[in-house]
Amino acid sequence: MRLFSTDHRTIARQYFFLSLAAVLAGVALSLLMRFHLVWPHASVGWFEKLWPVKAVGGVMTPELYLSLLTLHGTLMVFFVLTLAPMNAFANLVLPEQLGAKGMAFPRLNMLSFWIALASFVILIGSFLVADGGPLSGWTAYPPLSAVGAIAGPGEGLGQTLWFFSIGAFSISSMLTAINIIATVIDMRAPEMPLSKIPLTCWNWFATAILSLLSFPVLLAAGLLILLDRLAGTSFFVPEGLLIADAKIAHSGGSPLLWQHLFWFFGHPEVYIAILPGMGIISQVISNFARKPVFGRTAMIVSTFAIAFLGLLVWGHHMFISGLNPYSAIAFSALTMSIGVPSAVKTFNWIATAWGGGLEFTTAMLFALGFVSIFVTGGLSGIVLGQPQLDAYFHDTYFVVAHFHLIMGIAALFGIFAATSYWFPLMFGRVMDERLGKLHFYLTFVLSYTTFGPMHFAGFAGSPRRYADFTTFDFLAPLMPIQRWITWSAFALAAAQAIFLYNLFHSMRRGKLAPANPWKSESPEWTRDTEIWQR
Amino acid sequence: MATLTQSGIGAPPPTVPDLPTGGGGGDDHGGPERGNTRNASITGIVVLMCASTMTFGAMVSAMVVRRGLSNDWHTLPLPGILWWNTAVLILSSIVIDTARRLLRRNKRMYFNTLWTAGTIMGAAFLAGQAVAWKQLEARGFYLQGNPSSAFFYVLTWAHAAHVVGALAAVIYVEFRALRYELGPSRRTWVDVAALFWHFLDVLWLGIMGLFAYWA
Repeated sequence: MRLFSTDHRTIARQYFFLSLAAVLAGVALSLLMRFHLVWPHASVGWFEKLWPVKAVGGVMTPELYLSLLTLHGTLMVFFVLTLAPMNAFANLVLPEQLGAKGMAFPRLNMLSFWIALASFVILIGSFLVADGGPLSGWTAYPPLSAVGAIAGPGEGLGQTLWFFSIGAFSISSMLTAINIIATVIDMRAPEMPLSKIPLTCWNWFATAILSLLSFPVLLAAGLLILLDRLAGTSFFVPEGLLIADAKIAHSGGSPLLWQHLFWFFGHPEVYIAILPGMGIISQVISNFARKPVFGRTAMIVSTFAIAFLGLLVWGHHMFISGLNPYSAIAFSALTMSIGVPSAVKTFNWIATAWGGGLEFTTAMLFALGFVSIFVTGGLSGIVLGQPQLDAYFHDTYFVVAHFHLIMGIAALFGIFAATSYWFPLMFGRVMDERLGKLHFYLTFVLSYTTFGPMHFAGFAGSPRRYADFTTFDFLAPLMPIQRWITWSAFALAAAQAIFLYNLFHSMRRGKLAPANPWKSESPEWTRDTEIWQR
Repeated sequence: MATLTQSGIGAPPPTVPDLPTGGGGGDDHGGPERGNTRNASITGIVVLMCASTMTFGAMVSAMVVRRGLSNDWHTLPLPGILWWNTAVLILSSIVIDTARRLLRRNKRMYFNTLWTAGTIMGAAFLAGQAVAWKQLEARGFYLQGNPSSAFFYVLTWAHAAHVVGALAAVIYVEFRALRYELGPSRRTWVDVAALFWHFLDVLWLGIMGLFAYWA
């Protein structure tokens, strides 16, 4: 595998491994966070070795917890949920599915990957600077993210590097989006009109359009906030702000402006994470049910309906930010209307499987698991889409449960399904099915046991982003739930060792893949035999 | 879609016989299915223009919101040179587009002359912008000052960054044109660069209009 390659399949594998590195780091961080939440005063020797300033005596400081939270969110949202479902798997099979020779702009494609990698390196670097990593979370709300080191350790150079990383990532994502859109429109084989292209291609196409429209907005917002930080402008910092007993010299900006710009990107980002997975599981379910996808046109229309509505609902992240109640009603109605195309999709997946000759391969199990998790996570979205209920739930674990299921676990199930399904196209071998199924059942059950109880913690008012629950009496009765979640999270993470073993073992020692192991009719399996000779 | 567009088919014979023909393949990259890379390049640049529009749209909407937020907004007195810059940019667009049309009719000598003129005008626009920034600074309007001047600098810098990128493409075309590597059937880069150049006009007129008549 050449390092600087313009070959789309090589780039696909590069994205895959970048995402893998990010998800391993992200999971490790989440375990540290879960440990700290349950045993906040425990002294761990190697904590102090790792963070001599922020874990004096081996006990994590709240700042350290917040920086872990920030890195976890940023890694997972950008480098796992954005890169793996589209950049990795679209690069792998999109050209073959379209009958194209390759991506439209191979060199641009390579550039996208290397910018993404640079962004990853900068992000990791932002956590290794002397003051420690940024504390602002993946949403980086000003004013604290805009005023520099006075807002806390890590809010200086660390936060600046974080914004540079996200800016680079935005550019990389825009370039990928341009490549995918041009490939779908112009590179198709003559016998492959738009009416015939697989659903996966439609979903990557819709995702690319969302990337194209939302990442530039994040880039613009990032540029403005960097000027606030480095050049003394006041786009997002209000007048008369007092931080650490010092009056901040800025004047007249608006932190709410950032929230609007950020969530105009941030909400479509949710669909950037999930739409590719929907395409992937449509193909997988159809493949292993030995039936064409039920309601293909409805699937395409609902994909674009979700993408379009997804661009109009950013305000539901801001219900408690002092949003005008009338606009909250509009955002709420639009948000809940996303339930309609989502229900269309769910119905069609079930109808595709219904009466088919189901074959429960690992990929199929993860695809069906996706439907289950998607419905569960989606239902709590209907709850949170109502301003009155969100006022209570917004800062609780209910939201943590919601977005981890709908955006994190559902999208990860799509990634697992795609990994198992297209593994032969990546490495010429098949993954072990027995280990794959074991990994699925454990992951499926433990996902529910980890994130399910978070709903109850949220109902009971357990606040999110807190580093330590033990200092509040009213949270004491909830500690058993938190302890359960932590143990379950440890088990869930341990179950992923099966996947890792299966992945790396199958990569080198797995059974050699036959030409079309899943007896698929999709072009990437039937069209191109050249890859088997590599 | 994947049709073999303008791949030398129907191109008039070269008028200067002792120069390389500048014809033959549809483009300089891609395998045998060359025709569609030209369409893809046009699609790519249009899509890139959408992305840029979103970036500027985000900044302008931030500006609209910021102005309505409080009563500290002061109208920025625009330096007169900006109107000259506007004229130069529009003229450069006309010149570049005329050049592009001439290349399609295989008038390669005229193309080279006009494209060179367009390139120089583009560079002149950038120089003019630098003068405008200096003049504003001399009059005490800084990035850190009133939000109106902050937004002016941000938007004009972002536009200038786009111009620098476009100018790189225009100079690349210039470089290849002077070696007579371009022709009626080898002009994807020309079309792409010209299209983006016109887009910068539209963007600039928007920014100029905003600051001259609204902000």
